[in-house]
Amino acid sequence: MDSVFSQLCVLGSSLALITGLILLWRRGVTAYISAFTWQSRAITVVTVVVAYFGPDHELYWVAGALFILKGVVIPRLLKQMERRFAAERELDPYVNTATSLVISGLLVLFGYAITRPLVALSHLPTRAGMPLAMGLVLVSLFVIISRKKALTQVIGFLMLENGLALLAVLGTYGIPLIVELGVFLDVLMGFLVMQIFIYQIHETFESIDVEQLSNLRH
Amino acid sequence: MIGYALEVAQAALALLLAPGLVGLIRWMKARLQNRRGAPVLQPYWELRKLFRKEVIVSNNASWLFRATPFIVFASAVAVTFLVPILAVPLPFDGIGDLLVVVYLLLLGTFFLSLAGLDPGSPFGGMGASREMTVAALAEPTVALAIFALALSAGSTNLGQIVARTMTNPGAALSPGHLLAFGALFIVTLAETGRLPIDNPATHLELTMIHEAMVLEYSGRYLALIEWAAAVKLLIFFSLLGNLFVPWGVSMALTPATLAIAVASLLAKLVILAGVVAVLETRIAKLRLFRVPELLSVSFVLALLAVTSSFLLR
Repeated sequence: MDSVFSQLCVLGSSLALITGLILLWRRGVTAYISAFTWQSRAITVVTVVVAYFGPDHELYWVAGALFILKGVVIPRLLKQMERRFAAERELDPYVNTATSLVISGLLVLFGYAITRPLVALSHLPTRAGMPLAMGLVLVSLFVIISRKKALTQVIGFLMLENGLALLAVLGTYGIPLIVELGVFLDVLMGFLVMQIFIYQIHETFESIDVEQLSNLRH
Repeated sequence: MIGYALEVAQAALALLLAPGLVGLIRWMKARLQNRRGAPVLQPYWELRKLFRKEVIVSNNASWLFRATPFIVFASAVAVTFLVPILAVPLPFDGIGDLLVVVYLLLLGTFFLSLAGLDPGSPFGGMGASREMTVAALAEPTVALAIFALALSAGSTNLGQIVARTMTNPGAALSPGHLLAFGALFIVTLAETGRLPIDNPATHLELTMIHEAMVLEYSGRYLALIEWAAAVKLLIFFSLLGNLFVPWGVSMALTPATLAIAVASLLAKLVILAGVVAVLETRIAKLRLFRVPELLSVSFVLALLAVTSSFLLR
């Protein structure tokens, strides 16, 4: 039973990581949003699996909240924003695609290296997925620093949060429900604030390219 | 003794089935696109026609051009002896492991690009340079993806990898296997000239790779090269089918298990052909500059597969 449990967890976390890598390959905000949506769904599934095998009934609520917030609400808001900035769909990252893929591969290796002591300490059947979650965190950090458009940086931030949520679920079977809800609220608020920022940036600079922020206007 | 007979039978089966596999993919694709499509057996008729036709060779071509079809075909046939298509373990397992398989396939590709350069036609040169770009990125990925399996099986021997996965079925769902499958699938499309990388349906298009290299060939030479390309497709499909989902491969050399092995091989080939046909109907060819990016995706997948099977052992 435990082996099925750990296999499923590792499978789900690999899927989450792969969607992060696919995002690096794809171009266009629409593809980014769909990759993020699929990633959130994969993490929801992992949470449900942990809730079932844990067994920890609070996690069902967490999974439900996660799905509604990151699988439905935020993607919809992102799509709205994307429609507004339709003219700026082409993305040109600081680092080209092939290099960023190789770098993210190395980052995942690094994630494996730094979670080794954690995995060695843990006795949970979910521990094998933890390096993958850490890899996802590192890859999303890389997405944030290597992309130019503010919107894609926001998606990178949301992926980072996804990675952290995954790490929490796999490492500790989830944090208490009240804390989890606080985190969700935080994410939503952070996202809304960033949305306002992006609209303001767009208003002032007529572009959401963050490179433009270093230029003087007026 | 029966092992050697089986080796020969396996290679003969691969050679016989290969054109049919190509025909099957074409037919499925045509049906999916609402066309009637040529019959599945069409590639056999094409081969027969080509074998009867006269060979025209450019005046500028050297012996290399004439030798290449035989080298390409022979390397493909040699690989069919080494890959677990029907049964494991086989007597030739000791002759070649996955490295031999990978580099025998590369040998064919290498000579094909040399032959593309040889007659000095601009198309051939373009095709050869593109093929080398793709091969240089795809070849290490093939090796790395199979290495991921070799690591969990503890042997680079393809037969042993299959046997080990059969005794330990849970391993087939491990992330190492799944990532390696993804990597090898992308590379299969690249190596066999399928759609996102190369378009097998066109003959005169500036972006073609395989067809550009073999443009100067005619008659039986062309037949040998096309047949070898079909065999290569079958080899990659049976690697995908038998290394990752080994069930059905015969472990004992009895008629009943061998019958099951043939049936399961056919089923796997039909399923993979269906997947490729659907994929080719749904997607367009990538721009040439995007091809290295797709291949680096598969390289990263293979790298992660090796890492996870190494660290989660």
